[in-house]
Amino acid sequence: MRLFDTELKELRDGIMAMAGVTEQMIELTIQALAEPSPAKADQVNLLDRTMDEWELKLDQQCIDLLALHAPAASDLRRIASSLKIIPELERIGDHCCNIARRVAMVHPPVLAGNDLERLGTETRSMVRRAVDAFVGSDAALAHAVILSDDSVDALYGKIYRDLLRIMLADPLCIERASHLILVIKNWERIADEATNIAEEVLFILEGRNAKHTYLRGDSVE
Amino acid sequence: MRAVPAFRRSRSSKLVDRLMRGVLWGIAILFVVVLILFVGAILKQGWPVLNLSFLTKMPETLDAGGGIKPQIFNSLYLVVLSLSLSLPVGLGAGIYMAEYAGKGRALNFLRLCIETLAATPSIVLALFGMIVFVQAMGWSFSIRSGALTLALLNIPVITRVTEISLMAVPRELKEASYGLGATKLQTILKVALPYAATGILTGLVLTAGRAFGESAILVFTAGTNASAQFPDFRLTVPGETLSVHLWYVTSDGTLPDAREIAAGTAAVMILVLLTLNLLVRLVDRAIRRRTR
Amino acid sequence: MLTPTLPETKPIKLSVRNMAFSYGDKKVLDDLSLDIHAERVTAIIGPSGCGKSTFLKCFNRIHEVSSAVNVSGDMLIDGVDIYRGGIDEVDLRRRVGMVFQKPNPFPKSIYENVAFGPRLFGVSDRTTLDGLVEDALRKAALWDEVKDRLKESATGMSGGQQQRLCIARALAVNPEVLLMDEPCSALDPIATAKIEELIFELKESLTIVIVTHNMQQAARVSDYTAFFWLGRLVEMDLTERIFTTPRVQMTEDYITGRFG
Repeated sequence: MRLFDTELKELRDGIMAMAGVTEQMIELTIQALAEPSPAKADQVNLLDRTMDEWELKLDQQCIDLLALHAPAASDLRRIASSLKIIPELERIGDHCCNIARRVAMVHPPVLAGNDLERLGTETRSMVRRAVDAFVGSDAALAHAVILSDDSVDALYGKIYRDLLRIMLADPLCIERASHLILVIKNWERIADEATNIAEEVLFILEGRNAKHTYLRGDSVE
Repeated sequence: MRAVPAFRRSRSSKLVDRLMRGVLWGIAILFVVVLILFVGAILKQGWPVLNLSFLTKMPETLDAGGGIKPQIFNSLYLVVLSLSLSLPVGLGAGIYMAEYAGKGRALNFLRLCIETLAATPSIVLALFGMIVFVQAMGWSFSIRSGALTLALLNIPVITRVTEISLMAVPRELKEASYGLGATKLQTILKVALPYAATGILTGLVLTAGRAFGESAILVFTAGTNASAQFPDFRLTVPGETLSVHLWYVTSDGTLPDAREIAAGTAAVMILVLLTLNLLVRLVDRAIRRRTR
Repeated sequence: MLTPTLPETKPIKLSVRNMAFSYGDKKVLDDLSLDIHAERVTAIIGPSGCGKSTFLKCFNRIHEVSSAVNVSGDMLIDGVDIYRGGIDEVDLRRRVGMVFQKPNPFPKSIYENVAFGPRLFGVSDRTTLDGLVEDALRKAALWDEVKDRLKESATGMSGGQQQRLCIARALAVNPEVLLMDEPCSALDPIATAKIEELIFELKESLTIVIVTHNMQQAARVSDYTAFFWLGRLVEMDLTERIFTTPRVQMTEDYITGRFG
């Protein structure tokens, strides 16, 4: 094994660790939404600090690998994509913090049913699968994540319309509902970030850029 | 873990190194000393005769006080004549062997012939010259017999020197020449020969020196008489050279000052050879300076 | 356009179809087919002994000077077969110049080195030669450094300057193609950088084929890259494609240093 392979593995392990923190934050956020607890909200903020530390460390690792090894082909794609995946994970953490900040303000809940909970768990699933696709070099899984974004967008749209109806019906709910709108917006953004990660995984594995397919007339070369 | 031995230079090997250095220096000094002794002995013997008239007078048959004017002329004339034959042939053969001949049996056979000729004792060549040129072709003892036989002596040397000098030309230079679109001949003339020039020139000097000093061959082909006419450029007359004259006066012994004349002749020969060597060095330096 | 994109607009200058090459009975190249576009730099990479230098030298038939070779298949320049199209080798070598791995200037003056080529073809007028020498030295980015010492020996120059002199020497006969066989492998990084810049300028009017064992150099300098392995062409594509998304696994493995 080349020395470079060892360093690539170190980078990958670092991203895995960072992703693990992300998943922890999402888990805590879901729990805090279901049952608000200031302790949990604080934990999310603490973990965000850990995320920021990871981002700095891993960014530097990527730059060093580029400078010292002049990688080519799949190695190059891996590092270039890692440079894009790392901030995506950090942003997911930021969004979790945004949600955690509002858990108190959305209680008592204005929404009936488990749509909100489902939005959280489906988003969490997308993030988890995207990270698994990265770790396991699983192109099919990455592809599935990209497709899942549509259903999460649909769910977000449904909850949004429900909230609008609730606000129109009962003015006392407006404050809580408007905070909730911001919460579901954050979930939707997290889902987008998971999709971005999956697209980067496809670039690493297949060498094709899966973004903005509407710009390309036919399939990429 | 195996123990690593301490690497220290032994005292004896340093001593041997210094000793060898001294020995080699000694050998070099020995050479110089021998040369000085040798030249000194000859000069001492020939001193009485060495003056300008010695070089400008005709030789005496019976009396003392003869000169070596015609012999000087003949020596130089024969060198020039034989070189003008052996140089083109030798160069051509050398170029052929180095550049054109395919490797294989033909080349090996050619090389064997040339080496045999080169190793032939000069007395044998002398006999050959006498049988073929002097007797069979009826040229008798003459300048032309001498020049041709001398040429035979020198062709193998020039060939070998040319071949070796050309083979020493770095392949990259020839490649560069071909790469620019040169033909084989152009490459040989413009790149290979200029590079080999120094080596070939050295060979030429050796050859000229050898031709100048050769005695056995010329005794049997150019004879022991010098023309009474001076200067005589005819090819048909006998041409006693300095080296032959030296041998003749000594072995004949009739001249009263035979010893002095012999030594004087030897001194003149050494002088000429030294001048020739110096001249060539100057020419070589001038050639090198042109491409600096 | 700095780097080519498809579709390629430059015409094909050199074309190879099913070419095989052997020294005596030793087969060195087999079943090669590729196209080299005019006014582009094509790099040939591959491990030692894969035949890339041998292949390069087929374009100016310089093998034939020293050995008997057997070439089958087609090698065309501007559509004419190099081996069977009745092309004169001497004229071919004027059109297809070559720069070697180790700089090999003649032990003559700088002027004489550059004038060597034109003189071969009968140019003897002093003014014409002066002009040709100056042009060639300018194109090789050497004129300013040597214009005051043209009569000095070429062997007194640094390695990088000598190599540029060899390039000037090749340029003096106005070639259409320049073959470069690992031209920088004996040079230091600064000299290498100067020559790479030179290649970039020269490709505006010349087709360049460069063999290199330095992959970063191939990546920096070439428009197209061909990867050779054991006498065969494994993959050839736009350089940026080869170095980001090669199609053949072997190419990927070689480029990332996993073998070779």
